[in-house]
Amino acid sequence: MTEIQIEPNSFEMVFFDAEKIVNLASEVAQILGLGNEQIKLRIDETSSMGRSKIESYEPIILAVDGGAFENTQRPRYLGETRTSETIARLLMRIIDRRSPEFANAPEDDVLDLPLRVAWDTYTAGRLNHIGLSTQMKRRQYQFRNRHGFSDAADKAFTYLWESPNKLAWADIERISVDCRATLV
Amino acid sequence: MRKIFPAEELARDSRFVRQSNEDRINDPRGARVGGSTGEKLSKLTPNLPNGPDRARALMHGIFVGEIQALEGAGRTCYDFETNTDVPFAMKLDMARQCWDEARHCEISVALAEHMGTEIGEFAENTLLYQAACNPDPVLRLTGVNRALEGLAIDVFNTMKEFGSIAGDPVLEFCEDWMLADEVTHVKMGSDWLRELTLNDKERLTKALEFQKVVDRLFSFNGFRGEDDENPIQLTRRFRELAGFSDEEIDDIAQMSREAAAEIVH
Repeated sequence: MTEIQIEPNSFEMVFFDAEKIVNLASEVAQILGLGNEQIKLRIDETSSMGRSKIESYEPIILAVDGGAFENTQRPRYLGETRTSETIARLLMRIIDRRSPEFANAPEDDVLDLPLRVAWDTYTAGRLNHIGLSTQMKRRQYQFRNRHGFSDAADKAFTYLWESPNKLAWADIERISVDCRATLV
Repeated sequence: MRKIFPAEELARDSRFVRQSNEDRINDPRGARVGGSTGEKLSKLTPNLPNGPDRARALMHGIFVGEIQALEGAGRTCYDFETNTDVPFAMKLDMARQCWDEARHCEISVALAEHMGTEIGEFAENTLLYQAACNPDPVLRLTGVNRALEGLAIDVFNTMKEFGSIAGDPVLEFCEDWMLADEVTHVKMGSDWLRELTLNDKERLTKALEFQKVVDRLFSFNGFRGEDDENPIQLTRRFRELAGFSDEEIDDIAQMSREAAAEIVH
Protein backbone atom coordinates (compact mmCIF):
# COMPACT_ATOMS: atom_id res chain seq x y z
CA MET A 1 0.00 0.00 0.00
CA THR A 2 1.40 3.39 -1.00
CA GLU A 3 2.07 5.70 1.88
CA ILE A 4 1.85 9.35 0.87
CA GLN A 5 3.03 12.11 3.14
CA ILE A 6 2.27 15.69 2.28
CA GLU A 7 3.85 18.93 3.45
CA PRO A 8 2.10 21.11 4.46
CA ASN A 9 -1.01 19.31 5.63
CA SER A 10 -3.18 22.37 5.20
CA PHE A 11 -2.91 25.45 3.01
CA GLU A 12 -3.40 29.15 3.65
CA MET A 13 -2.60 30.86 0.36
CA VAL A 14 -4.33 28.40 -1.95
CA PHE A 15 -7.54 26.41 -1.66
CA PHE A 16 -5.94 22.98 -1.99
CA ASP A 17 -7.36 19.92 -0.26
CA ALA A 18 -4.43 17.89 1.13
CA GLU A 19 -6.50 14.70 1.28
CA LYS A 20 -7.46 15.05 -2.36
CA ILE A 21 -3.79 15.45 -3.33
CA VAL A 22 -2.87 12.37 -1.31
CA ASN A 23 -5.59 10.36 -3.06
CA LEU A 24 -4.46 11.53 -6.50
CA ALA A 25 -0.81 10.74 -5.73
CA SER A 26 -1.75 7.33 -4.38
CA GLU A 27 -3.82 6.53 -7.45
CA VAL A 28 -0.99 7.56 -9.80
CA ALA A 29 1.58 5.56 -7.83
CA GLN A 30 -0.63 2.45 -8.04
CA ILE A 31 -1.07 2.82 -11.79
CA LEU A 32 2.68 3.18 -12.30
CA GLY A 33 3.49 0.17 -10.16
CA LEU A 34 4.89 2.07 -7.19
CA GLY A 35 2.15 0.86 -4.89
CA ASN A 36 4.46 -0.27 -2.13
CA GLU A 37 6.51 2.88 -1.87
CA GLN A 38 6.59 5.72 0.60
CA ILE A 39 6.25 9.02 -1.18
CA LYS A 40 6.68 12.44 0.35
CA LEU A 41 5.25 15.51 -1.42
CA ARG A 42 6.57 18.95 -0.54
CA ILE A 43 4.39 21.74 -1.87
CA ASP A 44 5.46 25.38 -1.92
CA GLU A 45 2.09 27.09 -1.80
CA THR A 46 3.68 30.55 -1.93
CA SER A 47 4.65 30.04 -5.57
CA SER A 48 2.25 30.05 -8.50
CA MET A 49 5.07 28.95 -10.80
CA GLY A 50 4.95 25.39 -12.14
CA ARG A 51 8.36 24.07 -11.15
CA SER A 52 8.71 20.51 -9.95
CA LYS A 53 11.67 18.31 -9.07
CA ILE A 54 12.71 15.07 -7.48
CA GLU A 55 14.38 16.00 -4.24
CA SER A 56 15.26 12.42 -3.36
CA TYR A 57 15.02 9.16 -5.27
CA GLU A 58 15.38 6.88 -2.24
CA PRO A 59 13.16 7.52 -0.34
CA ILE A 60 10.97 9.30 -2.89
CA ILE A 61 10.59 12.99 -2.13
CA LEU A 62 8.96 15.27 -4.70
CA ALA A 63 9.09 19.07 -4.40
CA VAL A 64 6.64 21.15 -6.40
CA ASP A 65 5.50 24.75 -6.68
CA GLY A 66 1.82 25.19 -5.88
CA GLY A 67 1.34 26.36 -9.46
CA ALA A 68 2.21 22.89 -10.73
CA PHE A 69 -0.96 21.58 -9.06
CA GLU A 70 -3.13 24.57 -9.90
CA ASN A 71 -6.20 24.80 -12.11
CA THR A 72 -5.10 27.37 -14.73
CA GLN A 73 -8.71 28.36 -15.30
CA ARG A 74 -9.24 28.96 -11.62
CA PRO A 75 -6.07 30.25 -9.95
CA ARG A 76 -5.47 29.13 -6.34
CA TYR A 77 -7.70 26.07 -6.78
CA LEU A 78 -6.49 22.51 -7.28
CA GLY A 79 -6.31 21.22 -10.85
CA GLU A 80 -6.73 17.47 -10.53
CA THR A 81 -5.52 16.53 -14.00
CA ARG A 82 -2.50 18.81 -13.65
CA THR A 83 -1.70 17.39 -10.22
CA SER A 84 -1.87 13.80 -11.42
CA GLU A 85 0.18 14.59 -14.50
CA THR A 86 2.91 16.39 -12.55
CA ILE A 87 3.24 13.58 -10.03
CA ALA A 88 3.14 10.92 -12.76
CA ARG A 89 5.87 12.63 -14.78
CA LEU A 90 8.20 12.76 -11.77
CA LEU A 91 7.45 9.18 -10.73
CA MET A 92 8.03 7.96 -14.26
CA ARG A 93 11.49 9.53 -14.21
CA ILE A 94 12.20 7.68 -10.97
CA ILE A 95 11.10 4.43 -12.59
CA ASP A 96 13.34 5.14 -15.59
CA ARG A 97 16.34 5.88 -13.41
CA ARG A 98 15.89 2.61 -11.53
CA SER A 99 16.31 0.68 -14.77
CA PRO A 100 19.78 -0.21 -16.10
CA GLU A 101 18.91 1.43 -19.45
CA PHE A 102 19.09 4.82 -17.74
CA ALA A 103 22.23 4.19 -15.68
CA ASN A 104 24.18 6.65 -17.81
CA ALA A 105 21.66 9.50 -17.62
CA PRO A 106 23.24 12.63 -16.09
CA GLU A 107 22.10 13.71 -12.64
CA ASP A 108 19.05 15.99 -12.67
CA ASP A 109 21.12 19.02 -11.64
CA VAL A 110 23.39 18.79 -14.67
CA LEU A 111 20.87 17.59 -17.22
CA ASP A 112 20.76 20.22 -19.97
CA LEU A 113 17.44 21.65 -21.11
CA PRO A 114 17.13 19.94 -24.52
CA LEU A 115 17.88 16.53 -23.02
CA ARG A 116 15.45 17.13 -20.17
CA VAL A 117 12.74 18.14 -22.64
CA ALA A 118 13.43 15.11 -24.83
CA TRP A 119 13.13 12.83 -21.80
CA ASP A 120 9.95 14.62 -20.71
CA THR A 121 8.52 14.06 -24.19
CA TYR A 122 9.20 10.34 -23.97
CA THR A 123 7.67 10.34 -20.47
CA ALA A 124 4.57 12.36 -21.40
CA GLY A 125 4.00 10.16 -24.45
CA ARG A 126 3.96 7.02 -22.34
CA LEU A 127 1.70 8.67 -19.79
CA ASN A 128 -0.61 9.71 -22.60
CA HIS A 129 -0.97 6.09 -23.62
CA ILE A 130 -2.25 5.20 -20.17
CA GLY A 131 -4.48 8.25 -19.86
CA LEU A 132 -2.32 10.20 -17.42
CA SER A 133 -1.13 12.99 -19.66
CA THR A 134 -2.66 15.29 -22.18
CA GLN A 135 -1.46 18.41 -24.01
CA MET A 136 0.53 16.78 -26.77
CA LYS A 137 0.72 20.14 -28.62
CA ARG A 138 2.13 21.86 -25.54
CA ARG A 139 4.86 19.23 -25.30
CA GLN A 140 5.57 19.60 -28.99
CA TYR A 141 6.00 23.36 -28.58
CA GLN A 142 8.45 22.80 -25.74
CA PHE A 143 10.32 20.26 -27.85
CA ARG A 144 10.48 22.60 -30.85
CA ASN A 145 11.85 25.39 -28.65
CA ARG A 146 14.77 23.16 -27.68
CA HIS A 147 15.27 21.23 -30.93
CA GLY A 148 14.20 23.62 -33.65
CA PHE A 149 11.05 24.42 -35.56
CA SER A 150 11.72 21.95 -38.34
CA ASP A 151 10.47 18.75 -39.91
CA ALA A 152 13.39 16.89 -38.35
CA ALA A 153 12.40 18.08 -34.89
CA ASP A 154 8.76 17.16 -35.47
CA LYS A 155 9.74 13.69 -36.64
CA ALA A 156 11.93 13.21 -33.57
CA PHE A 157 9.12 14.44 -31.34
CA THR A 158 6.65 11.98 -32.84
CA TYR A 159 9.10 9.12 -32.41
CA LEU A 160 9.66 9.97 -28.73
CA TRP A 161 5.97 10.61 -28.09
CA GLU A 162 4.84 7.36 -29.68
CA SER A 163 7.86 5.48 -28.32
CA PRO A 164 7.06 2.25 -30.12
CA ASN A 165 9.79 0.44 -28.23
CA LYS A 166 11.18 0.88 -24.77
CA LEU A 167 13.88 3.46 -25.20
CA ALA A 168 17.12 3.64 -23.28
CA TRP A 169 18.84 6.84 -22.20
CA ALA A 170 21.32 6.45 -25.06
CA ASP A 171 18.42 6.53 -27.54
CA ILE A 172 16.94 9.70 -26.10
CA GLU A 173 20.32 11.39 -26.03
CA ARG A 174 21.08 10.38 -29.62
CA ILE A 175 17.69 11.60 -30.88
CA SER A 176 18.09 14.95 -29.13
CA VAL A 177 21.70 15.48 -30.22
CA ASP A 178 21.05 14.44 -33.84
CA CYS A 179 18.08 16.74 -34.01
CA ARG A 180 20.03 19.73 -32.74
CA ALA A 181 22.84 18.97 -35.18
CA THR A 182 20.46 19.85 -38.02
CA LEU A 183 20.00 23.38 -36.65
CA VAL A 184 21.81 26.07 -38.59
CA MET B 1 -28.90 49.38 -27.37
CA ARG B 2 -27.52 50.67 -24.10
CA LYS B 3 -24.40 52.75 -23.82
CA ILE B 4 -21.34 51.99 -21.62
CA PHE B 5 -21.78 48.21 -21.63
CA PRO B 6 -20.77 46.53 -18.32
CA ALA B 7 -17.80 44.14 -18.35
CA GLU B 8 -19.77 41.50 -16.46
CA GLU B 9 -22.10 41.07 -19.44
CA LEU B 10 -19.53 40.65 -22.20
CA ALA B 11 -20.51 37.69 -24.36
CA ARG B 12 -18.33 34.61 -24.04
CA ASP B 13 -18.98 30.95 -24.78
CA SER B 14 -18.61 28.14 -22.26
CA ARG B 15 -14.88 27.72 -22.92
CA PHE B 16 -14.05 31.01 -21.21
CA VAL B 17 -13.63 31.31 -17.46
CA ARG B 18 -13.67 34.76 -15.89
CA GLN B 19 -11.40 35.81 -13.02
CA SER B 20 -12.58 38.89 -11.15
CA ASN B 21 -10.27 41.79 -10.42
CA GLU B 22 -10.81 41.16 -6.71
CA ASP B 23 -9.62 37.56 -7.05
CA ARG B 24 -6.60 38.63 -9.09
CA ILE B 25 -5.59 41.42 -6.74
CA ASN B 26 -6.29 39.37 -3.61
CA ASP B 27 -4.07 36.50 -4.69
CA PRO B 28 -1.50 36.62 -1.86
CA ARG B 29 1.13 35.10 -4.15
CA GLY B 30 1.26 38.23 -6.31
CA ALA B 31 -0.22 39.28 -9.61
CA ARG B 32 0.25 36.79 -12.41
CA VAL B 33 1.38 37.77 -15.82
CA GLY B 34 2.35 35.26 -18.45
CA GLY B 35 2.85 32.58 -15.86
CA SER B 36 5.14 34.64 -13.66
CA THR B 37 4.38 35.95 -10.22
CA GLY B 38 5.60 38.44 -7.70
CA GLU B 39 8.65 36.24 -7.21
CA LYS B 40 11.96 37.16 -8.78
CA LEU B 41 11.16 38.09 -12.34
CA SER B 42 13.34 37.72 -15.39
CA LYS B 43 13.16 38.72 -19.02
CA LEU B 44 10.93 36.37 -20.99
CA THR B 45 13.18 34.40 -23.34
CA PRO B 46 13.14 30.81 -24.65
CA ASN B 47 16.33 30.17 -22.68
CA LEU B 48 14.43 30.11 -19.39
CA PRO B 49 13.48 26.56 -18.36
CA ASN B 50 9.82 27.62 -18.18
CA GLY B 51 10.12 30.16 -21.05
CA PRO B 52 7.90 28.31 -23.54
CA ASP B 53 5.18 27.75 -20.94
CA ARG B 54 5.28 31.39 -19.86
CA ALA B 55 5.04 32.48 -23.47
CA ARG B 56 2.09 30.13 -23.95
CA ALA B 57 0.24 31.64 -20.98
CA LEU B 58 1.08 35.16 -22.17
CA MET B 59 -0.23 34.31 -25.64
CA HIS B 60 -3.58 33.39 -24.12
CA GLY B 61 -3.56 36.70 -22.25
CA ILE B 62 -2.88 38.48 -25.54
CA PHE B 63 -5.76 36.62 -27.17
CA VAL B 64 -8.35 37.66 -24.57
CA GLY B 65 -6.82 41.16 -24.59
CA GLU B 66 -7.48 41.35 -28.34
CA ILE B 67 -11.11 40.37 -27.84
CA GLN B 68 -11.52 43.08 -25.21
CA ALA B 69 -9.69 45.65 -27.35
CA LEU B 70 -12.13 44.86 -30.17
CA GLU B 71 -15.05 45.25 -27.79
CA GLY B 72 -13.63 48.51 -26.40
CA ALA B 73 -13.01 50.11 -29.81
CA GLY B 74 -16.45 48.96 -30.95
CA ARG B 75 -18.08 50.55 -27.91
CA THR B 76 -16.25 53.82 -28.60
CA CYS B 77 -17.82 53.87 -32.07
CA TYR B 78 -21.26 53.49 -30.54
CA ASP B 79 -21.19 55.09 -27.07
CA PHE B 80 -20.53 58.66 -28.23
CA GLU B 81 -22.54 60.97 -30.48
CA THR B 82 -20.91 62.01 -33.72
CA ASN B 83 -19.83 65.66 -33.77
CA THR B 84 -21.30 66.57 -30.36
CA ASP B 85 -19.10 64.09 -28.44
CA VAL B 86 -16.45 63.09 -30.96
CA PRO B 87 -15.60 63.83 -34.61
CA PHE B 88 -16.67 61.34 -37.26
CA ALA B 89 -13.05 60.85 -38.26
CA MET B 90 -12.27 59.55 -34.78
CA LYS B 91 -15.06 57.00 -35.04
CA LEU B 92 -13.66 56.00 -38.40
CA ASP B 93 -10.29 55.38 -36.75
CA MET B 94 -12.00 53.26 -34.08
CA ALA B 95 -13.80 51.28 -36.80
CA ARG B 96 -10.47 50.63 -38.48
CA GLN B 97 -9.09 49.54 -35.12
CA CYS B 98 -12.00 47.09 -34.74
CA TRP B 99 -10.99 45.58 -38.07
CA ASP B 100 -7.37 45.26 -36.87
CA GLU B 101 -8.35 43.79 -33.51
CA ALA B 102 -10.65 41.23 -35.13
CA ARG B 103 -7.73 40.15 -37.31
CA HIS B 104 -5.50 40.01 -34.21
CA CYS B 105 -8.04 37.74 -32.51
CA GLU B 106 -7.83 35.32 -35.43
CA ILE B 107 -4.02 35.48 -35.47
CA SER B 108 -3.88 34.98 -31.69
CA VAL B 109 -6.10 31.90 -31.86
CA ALA B 110 -3.82 30.43 -34.51
CA LEU B 111 -0.70 31.31 -32.52
CA ALA B 112 -2.14 29.88 -29.32
CA GLU B 113 -2.86 26.64 -31.13
CA HIS B 114 0.67 26.70 -32.57
CA MET B 115 2.00 26.96 -29.01
CA GLY B 116 -0.22 24.18 -27.69
CA THR B 117 -2.75 26.31 -25.85
CA GLU B 118 -6.50 25.77 -25.90
CA ILE B 119 -9.01 28.60 -25.89
CA GLY B 120 -10.08 29.11 -22.29
CA GLU B 121 -7.15 27.18 -20.84
CA PHE B 122 -6.33 30.17 -18.65
CA ALA B 123 -8.66 32.48 -16.73
CA GLU B 124 -9.73 35.75 -18.35
CA ASN B 125 -9.62 39.05 -16.51
CA THR B 126 -11.54 42.00 -17.96
CA LEU B 127 -9.46 44.85 -16.56
CA LEU B 128 -8.53 45.92 -20.09
CA TYR B 129 -12.14 46.29 -21.19
CA GLN B 130 -12.99 48.14 -18.00
CA ALA B 131 -10.45 50.82 -18.92
CA ALA B 132 -12.49 51.20 -22.12
CA CYS B 133 -15.62 52.08 -20.15
CA ASN B 134 -14.62 55.60 -19.18
CA PRO B 135 -17.54 57.95 -19.98
CA ASP B 136 -15.20 60.68 -21.30
CA PRO B 137 -14.05 59.74 -24.83
CA VAL B 138 -10.72 61.52 -24.34
CA LEU B 139 -9.96 59.62 -21.15
CA ARG B 140 -11.11 56.37 -22.73
CA LEU B 141 -8.91 56.91 -25.75
CA THR B 142 -5.95 57.81 -23.57
CA GLY B 143 -6.41 54.83 -21.26
CA VAL B 144 -6.91 52.35 -24.06
CA ASN B 145 -4.96 53.64 -27.05
CA ARG B 146 -2.01 55.14 -25.24
CA ALA B 147 -1.68 53.08 -22.03
CA LEU B 148 -2.97 49.65 -23.08
CA GLU B 149 -2.04 49.68 -26.74
CA GLY B 150 1.31 51.06 -25.61
CA LEU B 151 1.65 48.01 -23.38
CA ALA B 152 0.72 45.88 -26.40
CA ILE B 153 3.70 47.37 -28.27
CA ASP B 154 5.99 46.20 -25.47
CA VAL B 155 4.36 42.77 -25.25
CA PHE B 156 4.38 42.12 -28.99
CA ASN B 157 7.97 43.22 -29.38
CA THR B 158 9.00 40.91 -26.53
CA MET B 159 7.10 38.01 -28.11
CA LYS B 160 8.57 38.82 -31.51
CA GLU B 161 12.07 38.61 -30.00
CA PHE B 162 11.08 35.38 -28.24
CA GLY B 163 10.13 33.90 -31.61
CA SER B 164 13.32 35.17 -33.21
CA ILE B 165 15.58 33.67 -30.52
CA ALA B 166 13.67 30.38 -30.55
CA GLY B 167 13.91 30.18 -34.34
CA ASP B 168 10.11 30.19 -34.58
CA PRO B 169 9.24 32.15 -37.74
CA VAL B 170 5.49 31.76 -37.20
CA LEU B 171 5.57 33.55 -33.85
CA GLU B 172 8.16 36.11 -34.98
CA PHE B 173 6.35 37.26 -38.12
CA CYS B 174 2.83 37.19 -36.66
CA GLU B 175 3.94 39.34 -33.74
CA ASP B 176 5.75 41.71 -36.09
CA TRP B 177 2.60 42.24 -38.16
CA MET B 178 0.46 42.85 -35.09
CA LEU B 179 3.11 45.15 -33.66
CA ALA B 180 2.84 47.37 -36.75
CA ASP B 181 -0.91 47.75 -36.12
CA GLU B 182 -0.38 48.55 -32.44
CA VAL B 183 1.99 51.38 -33.28
CA THR B 184 -0.78 52.81 -35.47
CA HIS B 185 -3.35 52.44 -32.67
CA VAL B 186 -1.15 54.26 -30.20
CA LYS B 187 -0.45 56.98 -32.77
CA MET B 188 -4.23 57.39 -33.19
CA GLY B 189 -4.51 57.86 -29.44
CA SER B 190 -1.70 60.41 -29.38
CA ASP B 191 -3.14 62.35 -32.34
CA TRP B 192 -6.72 62.44 -31.03
CA LEU B 193 -5.61 63.35 -27.53
CA ARG B 194 -3.82 66.36 -28.96
CA GLU B 195 -6.71 67.26 -31.27
CA LEU B 196 -9.53 66.93 -28.73
CA THR B 197 -7.76 68.82 -25.95
CA LEU B 198 -6.30 71.57 -28.11
CA ASN B 199 -8.04 74.30 -26.12
CA ASP B 200 -8.70 72.39 -22.93
CA LYS B 201 -5.59 72.02 -20.79
CA GLU B 202 -7.58 70.73 -17.81
CA ARG B 203 -9.04 67.86 -19.84
CA LEU B 204 -5.59 67.06 -21.22
CA THR B 205 -4.18 66.89 -17.69
CA LYS B 206 -7.04 64.64 -16.54
CA ALA B 207 -6.54 62.36 -19.53
CA LEU B 208 -2.81 62.01 -18.91
CA GLU B 209 -3.48 61.30 -15.24
CA PHE B 210 -5.96 58.58 -16.23
CA GLN B 211 -3.34 57.14 -18.57
CA LYS B 212 -0.90 56.98 -15.65
CA VAL B 213 -3.48 55.18 -13.51
CA VAL B 214 -3.99 52.57 -16.24
CA ASP B 215 -0.25 52.28 -16.86
CA ARG B 216 0.25 51.77 -13.14
CA LEU B 217 -2.50 49.10 -12.97
CA PHE B 218 -0.83 47.23 -15.80
CA SER B 219 2.67 47.53 -14.40
CA PHE B 220 1.92 44.24 -12.57
CA ASN B 221 4.55 44.51 -9.89
CA GLY B 222 7.14 45.78 -12.32
CA PHE B 223 6.80 43.14 -15.00
CA ARG B 224 7.27 45.70 -17.81
CA GLY B 225 10.39 47.86 -17.87
CA GLU B 226 13.89 48.33 -19.22
CA ASP B 227 15.88 46.21 -16.79
CA ASP B 228 17.00 42.61 -17.32
CA GLU B 229 14.61 41.30 -14.70
CA ASN B 230 11.55 42.76 -16.47
CA PRO B 231 9.77 39.94 -18.36
CA ILE B 232 8.32 42.43 -20.83
CA GLN B 233 10.76 44.99 -22.22
CA LEU B 234 9.75 48.60 -22.69
CA THR B 235 10.16 49.40 -26.38
CA ARG B 236 11.43 52.95 -26.75
CA ARG B 237 11.77 53.16 -30.53
CA PHE B 238 8.23 52.00 -31.35
CA ARG B 239 6.77 54.20 -28.62
CA GLU B 240 8.56 57.20 -30.11
CA LEU B 241 7.06 56.36 -33.50
CA ALA B 242 3.64 56.24 -31.84
CA GLY B 243 3.90 59.75 -30.43
CA PHE B 244 5.36 59.21 -26.95
CA SER B 245 7.88 61.78 -25.74
CA ASP B 246 11.15 60.68 -24.11
CA GLU B 247 9.84 62.09 -20.84
CA GLU B 248 6.69 59.96 -21.02
CA ILE B 249 8.73 56.81 -21.71
CA ASP B 250 11.05 57.66 -18.81
CA ASP B 251 7.98 57.99 -16.57
CA ILE B 252 6.72 54.52 -17.49
CA ALA B 253 10.15 53.00 -16.88
CA GLN B 254 10.33 54.72 -13.51
CA MET B 255 6.80 53.58 -12.62
CA SER B 256 7.83 50.00 -13.30
CA ARG B 257 10.92 50.31 -11.09
CA GLU B 258 8.78 51.71 -8.28
CA ALA B 259 6.22 48.91 -8.67
CA ALA B 260 9.01 46.31 -8.56
CA ALA B 261 10.51 47.95 -5.46
CA GLU B 262 7.15 47.70 -3.69
CA ILE B 263 7.33 43.91 -4.09
CA VAL B 264 10.85 43.70 -2.73
CA HIS B 265 10.08 45.66 0.44
